[in-house]
Amino acid sequence: MLELIRPGTQFDFVGKRHIWMGISLVAVIGTFVLLFTRGLNYGIDFTGGAEVQLHIPKAWDIGQLREELENGGFKGLKVQQIGLPEANQFLIKAQGDEHSLNQVSHRVADILGKKLSAGEFEIQRVDVVGPAAGSSLRMSGFLSMFYALLCILVYVTIRFDYRYSPGAVLALFHDSVLTLGIFILTQKQFDLQILAALLALIGYSNNDTIIVYDRVRETVHQHPELSIDQAVNRAINETLGRTILTSLCTFFTVFALWIFGGKVIEDFAFTLVVGIVVGAYSSIFVASSLVIFMTQYHERRAVKLKLNGGKRKKKTVTVRPEPKFQ
Amino acid sequence: MSRSWWGKLLLLVFVVALSGVYVYPTLSNLDLEKTKFPFKQKMNLGLDLQGGLYLVLGVDFHKVYRDVVERQSNSLKDRLKEKSIPVLGVKTVREGVPADDPRIFLDFDSAKREDLYQILKKEFWNLRLAGESSGHFELGLSHDYRNEVREKTLNQSIEVIRNRIDEFGVSEPAITSQGLDRVVVELPGVREIDRAKELIGRTAKLEFKMVDDKSMSPGQLASLISKMEKDHQLSYKENGKENQKFSDYVRKLNEFAKGKIPEEDEIAFERPRAGSSQGELGRIPYLLQSKVSVTGDDLQDASVQIDPENRKPNVGFSLNPHGAAIFDRVTGENIGHRLAIVLDNIVHSAPVIQSRIGGGRGQITVGRGDSEDLMKEAKDLAIVLRAGALPAQLDFLEQRVVGPSLGQDSIHKGAMASLIGSLVVFVFVAIYYRVSGLIAVFSLILNVLFVLATLVGLEATLTLPGIAGIALTVGIAVDSNVVIYERIREELRLGKNLIGAVELGFQKAFRTILDANVTNAAAGIVLLMYGTGPIKGFAVTLLIGIVTTLFTAVFVCRLIFDIYLKYLENRGSRTLSI
Repeated sequence: MLELIRPGTQFDFVGKRHIWMGISLVAVIGTFVLLFTRGLNYGIDFTGGAEVQLHIPKAWDIGQLREELENGGFKGLKVQQIGLPEANQFLIKAQGDEHSLNQVSHRVADILGKKLSAGEFEIQRVDVVGPAAGSSLRMSGFLSMFYALLCILVYVTIRFDYRYSPGAVLALFHDSVLTLGIFILTQKQFDLQILAALLALIGYSNNDTIIVYDRVRETVHQHPELSIDQAVNRAINETLGRTILTSLCTFFTVFALWIFGGKVIEDFAFTLVVGIVVGAYSSIFVASSLVIFMTQYHERRAVKLKLNGGKRKKKTVTVRPEPKFQ
Repeated sequence: MSRSWWGKLLLLVFVVALSGVYVYPTLSNLDLEKTKFPFKQKMNLGLDLQGGLYLVLGVDFHKVYRDVVERQSNSLKDRLKEKSIPVLGVKTVREGVPADDPRIFLDFDSAKREDLYQILKKEFWNLRLAGESSGHFELGLSHDYRNEVREKTLNQSIEVIRNRIDEFGVSEPAITSQGLDRVVVELPGVREIDRAKELIGRTAKLEFKMVDDKSMSPGQLASLISKMEKDHQLSYKENGKENQKFSDYVRKLNEFAKGKIPEEDEIAFERPRAGSSQGELGRIPYLLQSKVSVTGDDLQDASVQIDPENRKPNVGFSLNPHGAAIFDRVTGENIGHRLAIVLDNIVHSAPVIQSRIGGGRGQITVGRGDSEDLMKEAKDLAIVLRAGALPAQLDFLEQRVVGPSLGQDSIHKGAMASLIGSLVVFVFVAIYYRVSGLIAVFSLILNVLFVLATLVGLEATLTLPGIAGIALTVGIAVDSNVVIYERIREELRLGKNLIGAVELGFQKAFRTILDANVTNAAAGIVLLMYGTGPIKGFAVTLLIGIVTTLFTAVFVCRLIFDIYLKYLENRGSRTLSI
């Protein structure tokens, strides 16, 4: 039997949880600082603008293309090479109002048409998003992330209980924020596709968390003699093999997409690659630690209420059997 | 083997066979026209895979409401005159009120307030009293009526666009509304992008208006316009860098011209044609009477015809009896004057009426360019005239064009990458779990087959992110297998016998798998509701993948495990290869 993690392995994840939590906290705060200082590199989906992808078989270099286009009266013109230099593919970006944006691909074709004959260049892709559409897309995009998180919060609360759900949602929040952080650091373009990938990650990365939680719950039931720390640590260790295995398998597929999937899907796959790594980390190190925190918090409160003579008994929530220490 | 087991196996074979039939035409790229294969349906490919045009159009409701309020205001004026209720002033106002809620300001004798109020209440249900001070009403459109107008405008826009596209000839166009004020048009495989855009976005409002040559000569009008341009620093240049809309320019010009031209008149232009003299403005101005005699609503038919004199194509039209009668009367009354044919507020021609024109026939000359361009323009104009005018101005909010070669490239690379990723996973799982791993690989392959078949069966659209979704499904489906297998291993470690361990492993894993997939599905549903185009495709494959994963992991995998256990039992082996 091939085993990644030997049964009975007892890494002490929980004992060092303050270290991990500290690292995560710093990373999340760091991302927010970056978000406000450096900012995301929003794509035209969110800012509005025009993007034209061009293929020029003839050996034009980027300098020549830029020179030709600069006299075309484009606002905020940017010319980039995409893919390998041999591919001779370029991305042209321009800004403007709704009316002028609609003309961008037309004018690019006109300008190139003067120097090249019709078959020599190809406009492969045009994306035009009006400024108004851009801001509404951004709004609805972030709302959708909020709804997804809310759904998961409700589901986890129903399926487990209130002690688990904050951890699950915070872990997902942590995952999305850190993935965004990578996007800020690399200054890769953040557009609708990336947002979709983030949403998919929220669903997927919750998988890992749920599976660990499932095991925590089971362990707490079967071994009431264990403290919550011990139960969680045991659950993490028991599911560690699974967490690593599945994350690895999913990682293989999205990694292949990232490397071989072509330019259009590259960043989408990249998001998933980053997200899966961060997600696996968070379900082992972050989500479960939060369960401990919540449980201990409620235990302390229950004790306090008992001391107070149980005045606010109504509000005490049912707490699973008190941990017995040997 | 028990009877229920055989039943399950039969079901599995049936499902696999059915899926095979569904995906066969797509995978082997059958020519659906010629093939004898009984199932004739292929996978729908998204715009990003086969190329095409995706448009989001916004309906300009501000203008629609303004027009509706204007009309209401006119009929209110008429009605009050009939009832002989004296009013001191009626005017429609746009400034200082919300842009989507224009108002009518009504000044009246305070003594008559009750009478006026009763008429408004009884006969003008579509107006609401938005504000009142003594001797003054502020009226807006009622909320119900606004909603009605909005819905009607949106539906009519979709209808008109659909008619135009149908005549243009695009296979499987999708024209749908999005939210309250948007229309999404998807035209897969379309090549003539600019032509299609022109055809969709054009309002195609045809009007016939009389030219007012009495108040002002063409020369006077031209110098008035030059003076206004100078005074207000207004200019419009064809292909200029200002990128101002021509319609905005004309609107502003008309605002400045108030008081300088007769109240019932307006200024409009004819775009210069090649070969004709351009004049000092570069376009020919007209003073038109605002009153419309006949509109495109009264059009019966429009078609391309060739002018026998210059052999150039133009668009001939005929009016319905109602329009023809008015046309007959108006031309009879105005012999010797000029009648302007106005399309989308641009004068196309303004011939002098030589004699009364009965029968309601006429023609519209088309622009410039060589005869091939003229022919195309005439054809498109005929299409839009036949399909009818859009009820409102539509703005292009979003447009995405994917060339066919890029789409082909995407399919190729996406499929390749998915295949490589899956193979790595297969090898990994087979090494790690050995025989059980092979069972997992087999159920994964079936899983992908089921996803593809369901896509075909639901007539869903496969997009590039959708392909990524399938690859991701493989990753997620492996998870179910891993959860089950790790459970079985645990049970074995605890000393359970084979059958017991497998039984318990599946049983305990099921709940976990279900939990994990439900949250996945939640994210998928949010994506489906919010996403458009390619992203929707991703959500669809993800959701289908979740369902097929549950089926394969819990049902298919279990079934094969039973066979495997039976095999071990027959051999007397006591070790599971897991």
